[in-house]
Amino acid sequence: MEKTLKISKKHRASLTERRARAGYFFVAPFILGIVLIYIPILLDSIWFSFNRLDNNNFVDGVLTPVFKPVGLEYYKYALFENENFVTNMFAGLQQLIFEVPAVIIFSLFIAVVLNQKMLGRAAFRAIFFVPVIISTGLMETINSQDIVSGSMEGGIDDGTGQSATSQIISVLDVEKLFENMKVGAQLVAYVVNIVNNVYNIINYSGVQMLIFLAGLQSISPAIYEACRIDGATGWETFWKITFPMISPMILVNTVYTVINAFTRSTNKAMQFIAQHYTGNHYQATAMSWIYFVVVILIIAAVGGIISSFIFYQRKD
Amino acid sequence: MDSNTVIKKETKNKIRVDYEGKLSVKDRLLAKVKASNTWIKAGVNVLRFILMLGVSYVILYPFISKIAGSFMTKEDVIDSTVSLIPKHPTIEIYKYIIVENHYLQALLNTLLLSLICALLQTFIACLIGYGLAKFKFKGNKITMGIVVLTMIIPHSTLKLALLQHFSNFDLFQVLAWNYKGPIELIFGKPLALDNSYWPLIILSVFGLAFKNGLYIYLMRQFFKGVPDELEESSYVDGAGVFRTFFQIILPLAVPMMITVFLFSFSWQWTDEFYTTLFFFSDADKIYLMPDICKVPPSLETEYAGKTIYYNVIQNTAGMMVIMPLIILYVFCQRFLVQGIERSGLTG
Repeated sequence: MEKTLKISKKHRASLTERRARAGYFFVAPFILGIVLIYIPILLDSIWFSFNRLDNNNFVDGVLTPVFKPVGLEYYKYALFENENFVTNMFAGLQQLIFEVPAVIIFSLFIAVVLNQKMLGRAAFRAIFFVPVIISTGLMETINSQDIVSGSMEGGIDDGTGQSATSQIISVLDVEKLFENMKVGAQLVAYVVNIVNNVYNIINYSGVQMLIFLAGLQSISPAIYEACRIDGATGWETFWKITFPMISPMILVNTVYTVINAFTRSTNKAMQFIAQHYTGNHYQATAMSWIYFVVVILIIAAVGGIISSFIFYQRKD
Repeated sequence: MDSNTVIKKETKNKIRVDYEGKLSVKDRLLAKVKASNTWIKAGVNVLRFILMLGVSYVILYPFISKIAGSFMTKEDVIDSTVSLIPKHPTIEIYKYIIVENHYLQALLNTLLLSLICALLQTFIACLIGYGLAKFKFKGNKITMGIVVLTMIIPHSTLKLALLQHFSNFDLFQVLAWNYKGPIELIFGKPLALDNSYWPLIILSVFGLAFKNGLYIYLMRQFFKGVPDELEESSYVDGAGVFRTFFQIILPLAVPMMITVFLFSFSWQWTDEFYTTLFFFSDADKIYLMPDICKVPPSLETEYAGKTIYYNVIQNTAGMMVIMPLIILYVFCQRFLVQGIERSGLTG
């Protein structure tokens, strides 16, 4: 009798509690990293945006740079005094509405095609990996400094320095085609814009395409087999099986595309901030923080909308 | 099986048999041609192939001139009669980049660094993604929010703070509050981790390195798609949480893991930001990929077409940076080809 009482007194972790503990273990590296390293770095960066480095400070005749607080000065400057900042920030938004659907649809389409059996699939997959490499870091720098490629092909240089790739299809042809079809002017403008940017769209969708491809790979072939036996057509299989199964990846890709569109170095707002980095570093930090708050709000909105359409294979 | 059936050839995916009454090759082909959907199928295949070819062309187009330029002498570069085929083909650009820019050293160092970082990042992303996807605990959603936050804020905007923190490395050290961190208390001074692999390794271990937010998010979304029944049946069979993770869940995630590995490896490989930020010292120089993208001393020139020629050299260096990556991908994509069989999912 005493024994059972003792056991009941001692608290034994319930299943939920044990599951929660295991969960904490799995995310421990991240939480530790956030608390020990990331938050201090962020705090420093935020702190820089409220301070000014005084290089003319002498203590006992020795030059010792100190930080002097300036309050909200940089933020005021960015929002109210510098008109270009706000304009540039919203120029990026317009580009986003056009770019995100194009990239997502294109990359999903290519991934579905690359997942099928076809001639030269391995070679095509290798080629479609190239945009992933050349879109960041070293290769991005090299490509942005590249002035040779455009001129060397002997193509027509239109004076803008763009290589002839951007003019594979004549925009005029597309416009004429659509005019005859009598569709809305806005749709025409949208399609023409995509055609104009075909090179960029393809190069921005490398990462998304690989993610979709991996997502498609992890759908069990048994499901497709069952579908075929039940007599579903390819079209039905895509919308009833592939699309729901890939939908978690659509969320990732959309969020990533939005973030990428906002934070890549060719974005107008980022360029504007980068220019300020060379001038006044601390002012630029303030600008980036304003910018990121805006981006966070947009991501939250986009993520919220898309999350409601997602299918997860779970019971609840 | 019929006793008349003879197995002629058997491979992993296909089996070819011979049996009585099997139509001849000619008859079978004829039947295929007559079948109604053959032509539609062939048409779709051709269209698909042309489309892929077209997109590949758009991707590879800029490389044509880069490859052509890499074999040119400096006379060819500014010669307006030379467009793609060099008049005096030479491999001197490659030669001097390998010899004078320490290409092989850079290759080895980068390989080591990228491999360490990519393996760490892939594993950590799996751990964190699984924890976020499958466990209910307080702060789960907030942690997920922070993961997205780390995606949004590019490290280039934290440049100054990053350098500050890793050249005087200490845990939870904020510049504004002047106090001693745990490392300073133990060792007497903060660790100087610049000019070593440590900053990148530390960032990788904590899932904070370049675009790690994407990897974590990706893995989390993937694990959310894995049905709970799989784990439940594993628990019923007596496996613990970790055994389930390593033996049941991770094998399912192989395509995703390879994708994450490829991303982290190739982005570390072509990385410029961290390598120039942390490896700035000239003493005990650790040669990495950005170092080979300079003009080799022997090719320096006062020639009229200097800028264009230097540009060609840089393009060549860029090609030499990405070549090993393409080879790696061709090897890795073998694992991406076959859809894995998920046991226990069909019932």
